[in-house]
Amino acid sequence: MLLECRRLSFGYAKPLAEPLDFSVTEGQVVALLGENGSGKSTLLKTFGGMIPPLEGSLELEGQSVAAYGLRELARKVALVRMGLAVPDQMTVEEFVSLGRSPYAGVLDGRSAEDNRIVEESLREMDLESFKDRAVAELSDGERSRVFLARALAQRVKLLLLDEPDAFMDIPRRKNLFVTLQKISREKGMTVILSTHWVDYAEKYADKILCFGRNAVVEALAAEARKLGLLDWAEV
Amino acid sequence: MKRIVLCFVLLSLLAVLLSFFTLVSGPVDIPWDGLWSSRIFWELRLPRVVAALLSGVALSVAGLSLQTVFRNPLAGPFVLGISSGASFAVALSMLAGLSFGHLGTLGAAAVGSLAVTSLVLGISCRFRNNTVLLVAGLLIGYFIDACISLLISWSDAESLRVYVSWGMGSFGRLAPGSLWIFAVAVLVGLLLVGASVRYLNGARLGDEFARGLGIPVGFYKKLVLLGSSILAASVTAFCGPVAFLGIAVPHLAYLLLRTTNHRVLLPASALCGSVIALLAGLFPTYPLNAVLSLVGVPVILWVLVRHSAKEEL
Repeated sequence: MLLECRRLSFGYAKPLAEPLDFSVTEGQVVALLGENGSGKSTLLKTFGGMIPPLEGSLELEGQSVAAYGLRELARKVALVRMGLAVPDQMTVEEFVSLGRSPYAGVLDGRSAEDNRIVEESLREMDLESFKDRAVAELSDGERSRVFLARALAQRVKLLLLDEPDAFMDIPRRKNLFVTLQKISREKGMTVILSTHWVDYAEKYADKILCFGRNAVVEALAAEARKLGLLDWAEV
Repeated sequence: MKRIVLCFVLLSLLAVLLSFFTLVSGPVDIPWDGLWSSRIFWELRLPRVVAALLSGVALSVAGLSLQTVFRNPLAGPFVLGISSGASFAVALSMLAGLSFGHLGTLGAAAVGSLAVTSLVLGISCRFRNNTVLLVAGLLIGYFIDACISLLISWSDAESLRVYVSWGMGSFGRLAPGSLWIFAVAVLVGLLLVGASVRYLNGARLGDEFARGLGIPVGFYKKLVLLGSSILAASVTAFCGPVAFLGIAVPHLAYLLLRTTNHRVLLPASALCGSVIALLAGLFPTYPLNAVLSLVGVPVILWVLVRHSAKEEL
């Protein structure tokens, strides 16, 4: 089991939902679905160790997330948020190279292996031709791919994505889900993402976590609709 | 990469040439064969070159670090009131007659700048807003200036003359015996900032992002602010309140190097700063701050215009 939580209460001051029991293995894709403000981003931050659980246990590879050192955790988990403000002058390559920071020494140097991984991450996100351009000058969709490339360069086991498809057109969105599924299968990386695109979640995710009024309900992606968990999203 | 190497080579050459020119030129002609035995060389010109080099390096590195930590291109030891904190401590020494000695003046300046840095850091944590931060820094600066004004009104004519002269800034008042103290203080500041390169590279994107890269943000932020305060304080203590280098040079370094990587930007800023300081030092008869402002103001205006133009696009 890669990530496992038992009776997990999450939120800032008070719990946003009933305690959650949930687990995910290597190479799975999990989609978090629910209305804005239902707690998807908060749960992602909790999984990423940025917000401590209010109650219950949260374990990554059998060890409490809270027990990990910051650098050790950064080598296992990456959280990608699309609203990040990147400095005007920072190039795509410089930004993606930040993904190697958890592996760098005091002077933040990059080894040949680091550079190879950065190149590979740029290629995986189809960004090679963009690498010398400023991130701030890119379109929202292109920038989303840059943010993902940075997380890929971090070579983590758990990739947490907060609405990675928010600014993408339909072909790019489809590409994103295909890529995420491919990465999870080929690299054994577990992907947990929040999205509002129910159809894509059903097609490309293995599991779905539906955020209701007071509870988060888990289901296999293929069964969520049958179980009535997606009724709120019907047109 | 070629651009980076070329810039470093050119800047280094320029720094060496300017240092050499400052050492061999001056109002008094010293013959070449008598240069090494000349008191003017050892007691006036060499300290002046060292003061310019160290001030340029210290203020540029402090400015770049503060701009990164506060994620504000207009931050700097002066704008954030940090240099004012150091100035107040020196003013206490000169105007209120509290003699601290060379080490004591440096220590007092460091305490003054650290106090203001802590205050600014507290405000930045509380509001997380760059505008509030800048306004707070300016207000702190005004407050300290008011305190200094009070000290001025209570001081005698001779103390006032010394203080006004100090306030104009100069690389020429560093005593040979104080060189090592200044150098050690700058070295300590540089080591503290240099040990935080990984943090500085992540911090440009915010504390949360940096933490996600496995960087202990709180620890490194304090380390950088401590280093920047020591750098700004040491220059203020030995050369006076030298303005503009801290805010303008990091932008020049970026314009030349075109990178946001602090592994490159920090040494590049240090080199640019020392070159500009040496250039300004070529006009010892003019007030240092006046010469530096003539260089600094156009740069800051350019940054402001460029930023506002981008936002309108």
